[in-house]
Amino acid sequence: MGYFILEQIVNGVVTGSVYALIAAGMTMIFGVLRAINFAHGEYYMLGTFAAWYVVSKLGIDYGASIVIAVAISALIAAVIGRLVMQRLVNAPFQSGVLATLGISLILQNAVILAFGGGYKVFPGGWLDPVQFFGIGMAQQRIVLVVAALVMFGGLEWMVRSTTMGKSIRAVSQNPECCQIIGIDVEKVVRRTFVLGTALAAFSGALTGPVNVSLYGGMGESITLKTFAVIVMGGMGNVRGTLFAGWMLGIAESLVAGSIGLQYRDSVGFIALLLMLMCRPNGLFTAKARF
Amino acid sequence: MRWKPSGYRLGQAVAALAATIMTLGAAAAEQGGDVIKIGVVSPLSGASSRYGAYAVRGAALAVDEINGAGGVLGKKLELVQGDSQCVPAEGVSATQRMIRFDNVSMIIGDVCSSVTLAMQPVVEQAGVLLINAASSNPEITYRAGVGGYKWTFRTYPTDEVRASAALQFAVGKGYTKFSVLSVDTDFGRGAIDFTKKYLSRYHAQIVSEDYYKETETDFRPVLSKIRYVGAQAILMYGLADTTPIVARQMHEMGLGGKVELVGNAEFTTPSTIAAAPDVLNGAIETVAWLPSWPDPRSLKFVADYRNAYSGDMPNVHAYTHWEAVHLLAQAIRNARSTRDSDVRAALIRIKYDSVMGPITFDDHQQAVVPIVLLEVTGGKAVNEGVLSSRVDYSAH
Repeated sequence: MGYFILEQIVNGVVTGSVYALIAAGMTMIFGVLRAINFAHGEYYMLGTFAAWYVVSKLGIDYGASIVIAVAISALIAAVIGRLVMQRLVNAPFQSGVLATLGISLILQNAVILAFGGGYKVFPGGWLDPVQFFGIGMAQQRIVLVVAALVMFGGLEWMVRSTTMGKSIRAVSQNPECCQIIGIDVEKVVRRTFVLGTALAAFSGALTGPVNVSLYGGMGESITLKTFAVIVMGGMGNVRGTLFAGWMLGIAESLVAGSIGLQYRDSVGFIALLLMLMCRPNGLFTAKARF
Repeated sequence: MRWKPSGYRLGQAVAALAATIMTLGAAAAEQGGDVIKIGVVSPLSGASSRYGAYAVRGAALAVDEINGAGGVLGKKLELVQGDSQCVPAEGVSATQRMIRFDNVSMIIGDVCSSVTLAMQPVVEQAGVLLINAASSNPEITYRAGVGGYKWTFRTYPTDEVRASAALQFAVGKGYTKFSVLSVDTDFGRGAIDFTKKYLSRYHAQIVSEDYYKETETDFRPVLSKIRYVGAQAILMYGLADTTPIVARQMHEMGLGGKVELVGNAEFTTPSTIAAAPDVLNGAIETVAWLPSWPDPRSLKFVADYRNAYSGDMPNVHAYTHWEAVHLLAQAIRNARSTRDSDVRAALIRIKYDSVMGPITFDDHQQAVVPIVLLEVTGGKAVNEGVLSSRVDYSAH
């Protein structure tokens, strides 16, 4: 039984790392814009699709496809950032909800229009199984967890030590003051948006081989789970997001492994409800950050 | 008194609009004079869209063949497509649109059992013929014919017979402890419900039971559990697109050759076997048709289909929809009329030569067609026997 629980925890950490990687971007965007990016899962979908296209249609190696996929998605995000997201600075929150929901629909249907509504199979990836304390898993999953840890380490360093990171924190705390002292808030918003969505695209390209199939609507359920993760981690709290992602992943694995697979998706919603009722500012702080 | 003239104008506008719609409607009805419209409701988007694409292509091929040979009763067939997304509400509205706006009087559909079950009362109310060519939930025909719904016919074998045949064969191979991992729909749950009726007869037991959502991609937690409870085989009635995901994750966890797949979820398709050969070797599946079926007309269908669709191999839904259009054309010829009631009477009496053998309908308007038991051996599907799909309704 102990071994069974350990195995479920390992499964949960792998799944949770994906959630955390996607949620990190969403929470940063919330930090600077005070808007939930309801299209966030679509950038994850774009990352998977771009990698799939590069591998299966252009015949490029999977490793290189990750870089190209992130670049393509970042380019699309840069256009959307300039046309839509930077206009949301100081806009009422309803505009953010409407704009990002609209972008979500446009991106989903553009992909369905371009590549068809059917499922595609993701070729390639590092799928050979390795034994890990007696638990067999594809190398790809190890890569995923390591990538998540490296990315979070990098984000932590960036936020603390670089000019861009400092300006992101400044805009998160008080956008009006930033404008007064000469920080280009719109530029910070655009950059944060591209960085955050590129993280989602990165995890999309990394999970393609283990999720095997891809389709236009695959980002929708991810957005909802990510939303639960950023509420658990505390909206705008990057470090909290990693632990919240792991917690959701582990809770889902334990529920799927012991109660039933069909109840898996309810875990995120129950966690979200409990958080909003008991600790609306996140697990890691009793006070609101904003 | 300003409202009077404006109300009058509104009335005029409504009358003009109504007249326009009536003219359009009349034009549509006249158009229907020299063509016979056949609707195909199938999932064209979403998680099961792969099935819908095959279904529509199979039906379109049959329509082309029939029209090329001069049509039916001197009229051309015309296909009208509807997207059900494998969602009952969407399937019902697609059916209603076909009946009301496209004046379709015969419908083939759906692939997904949940949608077919929802379509049955809609066609019944409208008095429109429904041929189901791809759903396998037993309830569909328990409700049809003498069971109540007069307008539903099914040419596809039901899961009742499939479930018992697959279980019997698996037990014969020495498996007695089964885990359930089926799709969370009327298809996946229905097949398992009927499997449970036969568990005691074959001294088998179900040690764990899970149903997956159509969009599920992470099966590792439930596969850990399946290994932990010591199941020898997984009973899976699921989606073709999900099978490679499960198979790859079983391969990752070293379950290949230790736990076998039993049921129906395209285990025997070459592309699925290629996803994880070690896992799929030994998989047991019951199918209504397979591309290598050695009947000359069947082999010609496979060749024609590949010719028409750039080398793509047809699946079972392509075949059943192709055959259903031919069956419907035969019924119209036998009836010498395109009226639904005449065609229905002809269908009840029909003895149609399908590539799998003669099709007749029982009193529940369920076709008695053979089913084939396949086992994957050495990376290839091997025919392990052909069974009759006659249902004993009194047994339940």
